[in-house]
Amino acid sequence: MIRALLLAAFAVLLVSLGAGCGEGPTKIVFWHAYRGDEEAALIKLTKDYEAEHKVTVELLSVPFDAYAAKLEAAVPHAHGPDAFIDAHERLGSHLQNKLVAPIGDALPEKDVASFEPVSMKAITIANVRYAVPLSEKCIALYLNEDLVPKTPRTIEELAALPVPKGSYPIVYEAGTPFYHAPFLSAFGAGMLTADGQFGMVGPGAEDSLRLVAGWQKNGLLPEEPSGALVKELFSTGKANAAISGPWLAGDLGSMKFRVEPLPLVGKTGQRMRPLLTVEGAFLTPGGSKREDVRAFVRYLGGKQASIVRATVGKQVVANKQAWEEPALQKDNVLLAFHAAAKDAEPMPTSTAMRATWVPAQEAIRKVLRGDAEPKAALEEARARFLDALKPPPPPPSPTPLFLVCGLVLAGLAFLMVKRVREPGFRAELRRGRGAYAYVLHAAAIVLLLVVLPLVVGALTSFFAGTRDQPQYVGLSNYTSILTARGGDLLGHGSFYLTLLVTVLWTICNIALHVGIGVLLGVLLSRQWLKLRAIYRVLLIIPWAVPNYVTSLAWKGMFHRQFGAINAILKALGAEPVSFFSHWSTAFAANVATNVWLGFPFMMVVTLGALTSIPKEVLEAAEVDGATRWQRFRHVTLPLLLPNMLPAVVLGTVWTFNMFNVVFLVSGGEPDGTTDILVSEAYRWAFTRNSQYGYAAAYAVIIMGLLFVMTRMLGRLTPKDVEKGEH
Amino acid sequence: MTETRLQAQRIVKAFGNNPILRGVDVSLQKGEFGVLVGPSGCGKSTLLRIVAGLEEVSSGTIEIAGRDVTELPPKDRDIAMVFQSYALYPHLTVRENLAFGLTLRKTPPAEIAKRVTEASEMLGLEKLLERLPKQLSGGQRQRVAMGRAIVRRPKLFLFDEPLSNLDAALRAEVRVTIRNLHDRLDATTLYVTHDQVEAMTLGDKLWVLNGGKVEQTGAPLDVYARPRTLFVAAFLGSPKMNLVNVAVVHQGNSVLAEGQGVRTPIPSPRFGTLAKGMEATLGIRPHDVHIAGEGRELSCTLLVEFVEALGFEAYVHGKTLSDTGEGDAKLVVRLDAEHGRRVKVGEKVPLSFDPAHIHLFDKKTEIALDDKATE
Repeated sequence: MIRALLLAAFAVLLVSLGAGCGEGPTKIVFWHAYRGDEEAALIKLTKDYEAEHKVTVELLSVPFDAYAAKLEAAVPHAHGPDAFIDAHERLGSHLQNKLVAPIGDALPEKDVASFEPVSMKAITIANVRYAVPLSEKCIALYLNEDLVPKTPRTIEELAALPVPKGSYPIVYEAGTPFYHAPFLSAFGAGMLTADGQFGMVGPGAEDSLRLVAGWQKNGLLPEEPSGALVKELFSTGKANAAISGPWLAGDLGSMKFRVEPLPLVGKTGQRMRPLLTVEGAFLTPGGSKREDVRAFVRYLGGKQASIVRATVGKQVVANKQAWEEPALQKDNVLLAFHAAAKDAEPMPTSTAMRATWVPAQEAIRKVLRGDAEPKAALEEARARFLDALKPPPPPPSPTPLFLVCGLVLAGLAFLMVKRVREPGFRAELRRGRGAYAYVLHAAAIVLLLVVLPLVVGALTSFFAGTRDQPQYVGLSNYTSILTARGGDLLGHGSFYLTLLVTVLWTICNIALHVGIGVLLGVLLSRQWLKLRAIYRVLLIIPWAVPNYVTSLAWKGMFHRQFGAINAILKALGAEPVSFFSHWSTAFAANVATNVWLGFPFMMVVTLGALTSIPKEVLEAAEVDGATRWQRFRHVTLPLLLPNMLPAVVLGTVWTFNMFNVVFLVSGGEPDGTTDILVSEAYRWAFTRNSQYGYAAAYAVIIMGLLFVMTRMLGRLTPKDVEKGEH
Repeated sequence: MTETRLQAQRIVKAFGNNPILRGVDVSLQKGEFGVLVGPSGCGKSTLLRIVAGLEEVSSGTIEIAGRDVTELPPKDRDIAMVFQSYALYPHLTVRENLAFGLTLRKTPPAEIAKRVTEASEMLGLEKLLERLPKQLSGGQRQRVAMGRAIVRRPKLFLFDEPLSNLDAALRAEVRVTIRNLHDRLDATTLYVTHDQVEAMTLGDKLWVLNGGKVEQTGAPLDVYARPRTLFVAAFLGSPKMNLVNVAVVHQGNSVLAEGQGVRTPIPSPRFGTLAKGMEATLGIRPHDVHIAGEGRELSCTLLVEFVEALGFEAYVHGKTLSDTGEGDAKLVVRLDAEHGRRVKVGEKVPLSFDPAHIHLFDKKTEIALDDKATE
């Protein structure tokens, strides 16, 4: 019976897998990550196309955050789209993962002239074209019409315009490399050099930082600016100008503003050239072989389709001919971004680009905070960049691994045989057959969903390199982690320093969780307290709110200039605190957030544990002469804590791995020093050249640490004081 | 020279509209062993907890050793209490359990050690001092609970049904221990139980509680011999006193109680004059009934239904044979082993009630007609 069910399930799985391969040629699967107007334009175009060409286009909107991962998972197994829209800077990575094929006759030679040259440049690698350019996205200068009627010639003049107190001449996300890149270009530097090296070094890059740091020091820039803050300040007239992308325009409503390309930097006389993202329609290897797919992609980039995308989707289209359309000539914002894009610099497609962001950001923020000189900060950033890109060591002989695995397997087999041969084993097995049938499905699911990923994850840690070209490196990921990558054992970002921070983080949190939880639990269990039910519900709320929501809310509250906490401090006459500029305050902000999230759990556990303490024991203590406090200290507490130990173990594991709070509140600020082990592992996997193997090794080490820690905490239970006996 | 250790006066306790105690007086002299006894829900435990300070009175006053403690918390009353569940501190060893109260009072360590040693020797706990409560048997835990009270040397010991969690054999043993300790320590003790054997054997003074009131108080044997109410009569004694509905009959010079197949003389001087035809409840304990004959006058004839042979004696259960139509009465009779063996189920046995041990209660008020009992 069970076997038949399993077979049936397997068959269904096979059929569904096969369905991807066996599709008829008339259906085109097309992926995108558009929302709102852009999606509406795409849907309209697809409908029009279907009506004319007798093909079916299946549009699939994939969330932007998971886009690359989904492509990487689906395309190699001929399971994904035939074509998809993506940003050109992912081309390098897509090529590496064999997700895209040359565009072929979807962009024939005669079409090339109708596209903006800069967009053609973006989608071309080694003279091969890989996409039909659809739209261009870059940042430009927004100006408040009322405050700045005449555009200054240089950015310095703009910054020097007088503003009332609480307002700023210019706002932008100064701590983000993407927004600093135009300054770099004006000083003759870039994020990445042509040969894939870290470009943010040298006098030009240093000068660009000095310029901005000077503004920051003189209060011309708001502190800790985020996208939301930029929008807030500009839309309320508290900023003369903002540097932002087309997305800002949608949030400005009826405000009078204009958009212009970024100005010159007076010091160098050079124009600020923003980074350009070209969105193109790419062909997957499977889709590139189909004429109907190529025809559809060509259609999307054509003049008529571009006009629809520009008018309905508000896109800065890459097709030059479309701009001759009168309707487009009236949209000043679109025109301005079009103009800005002409002069922009396409984002490098090299995979090394992704490894520049974090070191660059850490360097920029350090300089803006005044913690380091530009030269030193940038040198450090370059070192981190190089470290992240360090090529994997030469593959060692896999023999030792096979030997160890073989020995372990042999040992397991030996134990199994021994167990099977034990007298009565078969009889026992036969007797338990019914029971095994009941747990079989659960065991199979656990095996499939828990054990298998765990083993695969652990195996990943023996490899380096990309997903498609994994290179066996033995234990070198581990040795590298445990030797702090050859650097100072307690140096920046070293495993041991991070471990220290993680342990401190866990201890602080658990102590406060248990302390506050027990205190409130005991208070709530008091008969004399009125409205207990209401308090209990109120106090559980922090736990019920998803932790990322809380984290983002608290991050906002800790803002240097606009956060609630500094507002309170200011009202009390204290100096405002830059929480994320110093390790101690950033760490404290993380802890405060996590304590807020975690104490209700301990409170609820306390309430439960308190009911297990016999009333008579407390009365006996009362008769024995104990005061209220002595009863709590000498009877309630010692009886409570052993009952709470399982909760403490759970809480410890959760806290040790509390990625959300650390990632969202401090985000490792300042300079990655508040990162804990999991967030550090995340950075290796997703911001440092996709070193999944290295991140997997981190994960295995974390698991080992937690295993040991849990065992140690388990030991703490005094075996004979488990429960208040009766 | 006697000294009053406990004086609880007019104690009233109500939970909401539900009265538990309706004006109870209890007093103990130094060295006395007082027992509060009564069925479940009679208020005896509540009264003990009020004396301990664990419950507040609704009205009334409590004095311990001449000091008004009505408003004081337990810790300031200088009392010690042994709980039904023992209430040992599960996380502390026996030694720490014993020392707990003294440590809280900042008694010097040497003094603590001395008292703990003393108490543990007295109770045979020397070898258990380092154990935790869960490693002890029920009887051992019970002794630790007592030890914890003893080391404190309080003015007053309170026991709340301390033997009810023990098995029967152990109960008899610990009962003796408790009484011995009381005497050795010259302690003053207030003891709560629902077990009339404990009440009879332990106490110098007994309070029988019923429905929140004291039904009768006095020395246990006095109360047993001369129950003042039908309730006390039925409550004390095992097996229970036999009760028969009778009417007073005058026959010549003698006065008889007659009803439910029973016809037995009433000794006149003890009960004074009883009106003819007066309705009453006659009580006679199982061991005050004998086989008639050999100079014993017939009181009734018992139809044997069941014989409990205990070896040294036998309890014979049966019913009286009645010809008057007012129904028969259930009787339990204690016979010696010899007679017990001879009696068979279904047999009719002539019985005689010992006139000296007959009790009579007013049918309506349920108060004893025996004038001595009403003193």
